[in-house]
Amino acid sequence: MATIETGGTTTSVWGGGASPFAIPSKKLGMWLFIVSDALTFSALLIAYSYSRVASADWPLPFHFWPSIVVASVMTFCLLSSSVTMVMAVAAAKQGRVGATVNWLLATMLGGVAFIILHANEWRTLIGEGLRPFDNPWGSPLFGATFFTCTGLHMLHVTIGVIVLGVMAIGFKKGRYPADYVEISGLYWHFVDLVWMFIFPLIYLMSVPLEH
Amino acid sequence: MGANQAHEHAEGGSRLYLIVWGGLLGLTLVEVFLAYVHLPVNTMLVLLMGLSVIKAALIIAYFMHLRFERFNLFLVLVPMWILVTCLLFMFFPDSFRLQEFRFPR
Amino acid sequence: MAHAAGAHAVHEAPTGFIRKYIFSLDHKVIGIQYYLLALVAVWVGMILSLYMRLRLAWPTEEFPLVGGVMTPEAYLSLVTMHGTIMVFFVLTTAPQSGFGNYILPIQIGAADMAFPFLNALSFWVTFLSFAVMLAAFFVSGGAPISGWTGYPPLSAVGEVAGPGLGLGQTLWVVSLAIFCGGALLGALNFIATTLDLRAKGMYLMRMPLTVWAWFITAILGLLAFGVLLAAGVLLLMDRVAGTSFFIPGGLVISEQIISHKGGSPLLWQHLFWFFGHPEVYIAILPGMGVVSQILSTFARKPIFGYRAMVYAIMGIGGLGFLVWGHHMFISGMSPYSAIAFSVLTLSIGVPSAIKTFNWLGTLIGGRIRFTTPMLYALGFVSLFVTGGLSGLFLGQPSLDLYLHDTYFVLAHFHMVMGVAAIFGIFAGTYFWFPKMFGRMMNEPLGKLHFWITFIGVYAIFMPMHYIGIAGHPRRYAETSGVEYLGSLQPVHDFISIVAIVTIAAQFIFLFNFFWSLYHGEKASVNPWECTTLEWTVPSPPPHDNFGGHSPVVYHGAYEYNVPGASQDYIMQTSPEKVTH
Repeated sequence: MATIETGGTTTSVWGGGASPFAIPSKKLGMWLFIVSDALTFSALLIAYSYSRVASADWPLPFHFWPSIVVASVMTFCLLSSSVTMVMAVAAAKQGRVGATVNWLLATMLGGVAFIILHANEWRTLIGEGLRPFDNPWGSPLFGATFFTCTGLHMLHVTIGVIVLGVMAIGFKKGRYPADYVEISGLYWHFVDLVWMFIFPLIYLMSVPLEH
Repeated sequence: MGANQAHEHAEGGSRLYLIVWGGLLGLTLVEVFLAYVHLPVNTMLVLLMGLSVIKAALIIAYFMHLRFERFNLFLVLVPMWILVTCLLFMFFPDSFRLQEFRFPR
Repeated sequence: MAHAAGAHAVHEAPTGFIRKYIFSLDHKVIGIQYYLLALVAVWVGMILSLYMRLRLAWPTEEFPLVGGVMTPEAYLSLVTMHGTIMVFFVLTTAPQSGFGNYILPIQIGAADMAFPFLNALSFWVTFLSFAVMLAAFFVSGGAPISGWTGYPPLSAVGEVAGPGLGLGQTLWVVSLAIFCGGALLGALNFIATTLDLRAKGMYLMRMPLTVWAWFITAILGLLAFGVLLAAGVLLLMDRVAGTSFFIPGGLVISEQIISHKGGSPLLWQHLFWFFGHPEVYIAILPGMGVVSQILSTFARKPIFGYRAMVYAIMGIGGLGFLVWGHHMFISGMSPYSAIAFSVLTLSIGVPSAIKTFNWLGTLIGGRIRFTTPMLYALGFVSLFVTGGLSGLFLGQPSLDLYLHDTYFVLAHFHMVMGVAAIFGIFAGTYFWFPKMFGRMMNEPLGKLHFWITFIGVYAIFMPMHYIGIAGHPRRYAETSGVEYLGSLQPVHDFISIVAIVTIAAQFIFLFNFFWSLYHGEKASVNPWECTTLEWTVPSPPPHDNFGGHSPVVYHGAYEYNVPGASQDYIMQTSPEKVTH
């Protein structure tokens, strides 16, 4: 052990008395939550891939129209909502309350558009006979993995839209600081991030190539 | 304007985010395009995953702001995240063997 | 911005019974709530194991509360619930969420955890999880019979495969999913607190090993519970949505054709053990931290090789993620994976051995005070070595082919988890009771409890190595009907009798705990003369721990017997200057 110094003067950020990352604890907390939720989704996607590799006759039912086009539009909605979220955070940091709320509403709009398109897609597929336990095209695990992965993701999007709504109201009333908008933004970008993997793995890899 | 300067200085500016957004959309189009090229499955998978990782990195670095945070935050969060995710890939040898266990149809 | 992080954590002292003791945001109250939850859970788990031992020794006897003679299925439900309750609600709760919650903020000089509300929420989520788990006993069909590992297809196909596999199994899965939520919230709280709320001067390399252990354990929890949640969701889907993630085709159970097809039971095993192995390190690491603290304090010597100890905790935690396949050696998994897992498993022996030798190095040349916490810490070292050694056998696929699912495995994991980790909890209890409740526990009773328990657990679990090697499988409700097991029955009788005595001895602890709350000798601020920050505040500490001001730290946590110092220990907060 080295010589002990008195006075507690520290030059290292690890010396205690402050966050070593210069971010509020709540933001670090959200990052940690994101890491663990990312692992849940990774495990689900690995389970999907595992099931697909191990299955015979995996169906490829996602034709360009409507499936891939709609899924691409959904991707566009989420990516755009991420940009509006970033704008909301920037506006919040500058104290522009009206602009922040507008950008947050735009983000929520992107999320709601995603949910509506997704729910409609589910409805169509269910109408064609897709179930978690069966489908007319091939391995029953197709429906199981599809509904589980996209369902959990859709749940996260829905929760995100609600949280953003709460943030918009609270920030407008001055009850929440700009930090909270940023922290909710992290969650929203995470939800977008998960879709960046679901889209190619579940949709693009299930395209019938003799289209 | 003062607001714009504050933008550029603190967080890279809205222009940067629009560029990233454009890049993400472009990469998405490349992915959709790739889905229709007749490639062996493994190649397709590697390419798609590679592109998705790049998109994820863009979102994490710019939208989630990690690029502008202290480097120690990146070090604390990302390496273990990547490591544990990669560990899950150890499941796959068993799925490949399952392929070979199937009764012929 | 940075100081706001600390300011968030402080809140006014609550008034009123509900805010003070039920829905408190104070980490100290929450820590005690977790501890009491674990105390109830351990007694439930012990009663379940008592019934298991009664069934094994006297298979044809009738016992109260189980409706006559226990059927083999009833035995299996005991096995399942005993394992689940002990692993989740005792070993994941008391050492980490119980003591960690209470002590960690104080040991780093903080007024509370980083997220007090999330802290309270994670307790009540865990409480809900426990309630749902216990409900499985009372629903029609009773508790599940698929083991704490819940392997499909048995756990996935439903009631057709046996009692308890209907609603009971669903409640089990739901309970675990809820538990994951609580555990994740707790984990991120611990990590954020340790990184952000350390007092000035509390460098990472000055933190006591208890804090390091809780910190690394929290990281393990953050990374592992997410995967269990995914596995639980998939199993729940198999059970209620008709999916077949884990159920292969062609199953005929109880003369009924099961319609599920296409799934892989091996996938569950991978997902479960990917979580399950880090989980057992979550169970043991906090105990290691406590033991390091206690050995150093009562040997009046610095911990031998502090840095090595820190790296060893990181090594055990990190390697713990790489070895899950050793639970699956006979599952039919790829033999190449098996080789990799085996090598990595055996290599965990290295940081474990480093820790063990450093504990011994701490003791050598020390002026040892044989208090009850010290006895339990020494017991921990002994039990951990014994249990760890049997792990070396099991880590080799060639030996595991024979030993898997025998009593040898039971002996191994009970030694390390069922006893060593429990001894860590006992050690922590006897050590921190004065700080938490302001009174000393009774020493003679504590020592009596220790000796009976220590001898008892060795007498219970050592013979299990023997019968395991003799080929006795796990989860058998009796030995009759299997010819080569008949000669082992006297061993069962012996173990059961010792188990009854050892369980009875736990009443001594229970009595000591609750009696001392009211009649124990009043504790001073620092009865053990320990250097860490919790021993600078009153016993018990005030609501905001340090009375509104933040302590400043000048030393590491193990300054005992420093040459030239004024006493035989230097508090971490003492500005006394010493060179060495």
